[in-house]
Amino acid sequence: MSRILPAVSVLVAVFATAIPWGLPAGATFIPPMVVMMMIFCWRALPGTVLPLSLAFVLGLLTDFMSGGPLGFWALMALVAAQTGGRAPSLAGGRAPNRLWLVWAGVAAGIGALSWLLGSLYVVQWLDPWPFAFGTLVSILIFPLLLRLLVVFTGGLPKPKFDRGSA
Amino acid sequence: MMRGGHSPFKPRPRRSWRAPGELLNFTLYFSCVVLLVLSRIGHNAVVDVRDGFAELTAPLLEAASKPVIMARGAAAQVRSYIGAFDEIDRLKAENETLKQWQWRAKLAERNVTHLRSLLNAVGEPALHYASGSVIADARGPFLRSILINLGRDHGVRIGYAVINGDGLVGRTVDAGGEVARILLLSDLNSRIPVVVGHGGARALVSGDNSAELKLEFLPDRASVKAGDEVFTSGSDGVLPRGLPVGVVTGSPGAFKVRPHADLRSLDEVSVLFFDTPTLTRTDPPVLAQDGALSASADDDEVPEDGPSASVSPRPADSRIKQAGASRAPAEGIVQTRQ
Repeated sequence: MSRILPAVSVLVAVFATAIPWGLPAGATFIPPMVVMMMIFCWRALPGTVLPLSLAFVLGLLTDFMSGGPLGFWALMALVAAQTGGRAPSLAGGRAPNRLWLVWAGVAAGIGALSWLLGSLYVVQWLDPWPFAFGTLVSILIFPLLLRLLVVFTGGLPKPKFDRGSA
Repeated sequence: MMRGGHSPFKPRPRRSWRAPGELLNFTLYFSCVVLLVLSRIGHNAVVDVRDGFAELTAPLLEAASKPVIMARGAAAQVRSYIGAFDEIDRLKAENETLKQWQWRAKLAERNVTHLRSLLNAVGEPALHYASGSVIADARGPFLRSILINLGRDHGVRIGYAVINGDGLVGRTVDAGGEVARILLLSDLNSRIPVVVGHGGARALVSGDNSAELKLEFLPDRASVKAGDEVFTSGSDGVLPRGLPVGVVTGSPGAFKVRPHADLRSLDEVSVLFFDTPTLTRTDPPVLAQDGALSASADDDEVPEDGPSASVSPRPADSRIKQAGASRAPAEGIVQTRQ
């Protein structure tokens, strides 16, 4: 289960990125960022397996779904997976706030890299607002998603959001 | 010599190189770069794989999109119920205005018909079109496109104009057997030649990924003001002339165009089968099937003197209908606004 659940759940999220939700123009960066966030979380959660190569494939699927250049979200998925693999573990009931902080940094990095790479790809400066907005939303909903994934896995230590620490 | 006995040449514990893992990482990152480059240059292999994937996932996406589209429709209905009284008042006022316009339009139509008969002008050829549903919203941070459940099997070709009830939505940029990708007006790569306002000033409408479009290359002395209507000019030799695009907003020097069609929430769209010499050259009918409009052998006989609508016979596909200003629409056939 710990091997199948991460891949299947991210796959569902990848397909969800292509569904016509009717999002405004400024919110188009949010669905793929949720996919990146899930890859990061599954790599960070102890007891679950999401190999780097699988993260690459899921990122590539996101590229196919988004209709954008192939390799773009695959690259971001690799960044998310690698940082997720090295993020502070939640094993032993440790608070997830540090993980949240790490994701904030990673999301900012992915947002900036996406904007730069996207601008380079289309050879003009893109509007940074959708990237910034998507990054911000992904940071804000991170605790919710993490809690959801932990609930799905069942056997993992439940996260404690202590308000005192960063 | 370093103080405290710390020498820069002190041998550090060498980190063991995990060859397979490191090699895999490098290969994956390298693959991303290669794929990005191939996508940028538009390599055929990338296009083919993308088309194949879209074809493969189309049924799944169509099934997954239906409940979402239904939910959006239900939400819109709830919103309309909430504001029903205001909406009735607004519609009454609009109806009064439209009655006046109807009278003027009938008068103008009579005049146009009379003048055309005096000039012995040839009537506008009818346009065929097919309607389909949006099955995927393939919009990314620097891309605005949608997938629809119409493809080459239904006669769709690359370059066809796509409209909905409000106006122009975009044009087809990829076409598989059962699905086609539509580049929306708001995409960065979208460029549509248009005429603006009563003066018919020619300009170019281009997307910048935002909700409004840029109005570029307006002549210096063009009399354009906010509120002017924008139509396709057809001067690109691809899109039909006179399709409503949007309305001018903003101030002189920074004019924008607000599209009539709500590009965020597209459900049903129609593809106009408008074959022109330019389009036939760029997308030859190699993959055409029996019954598909693009398969018509008459395509090669299209005159070279400019854009003209397809006059191929109406195919058997029930989704393909006919529209045209010069013919009275038959029962159940919707007429496009031109």
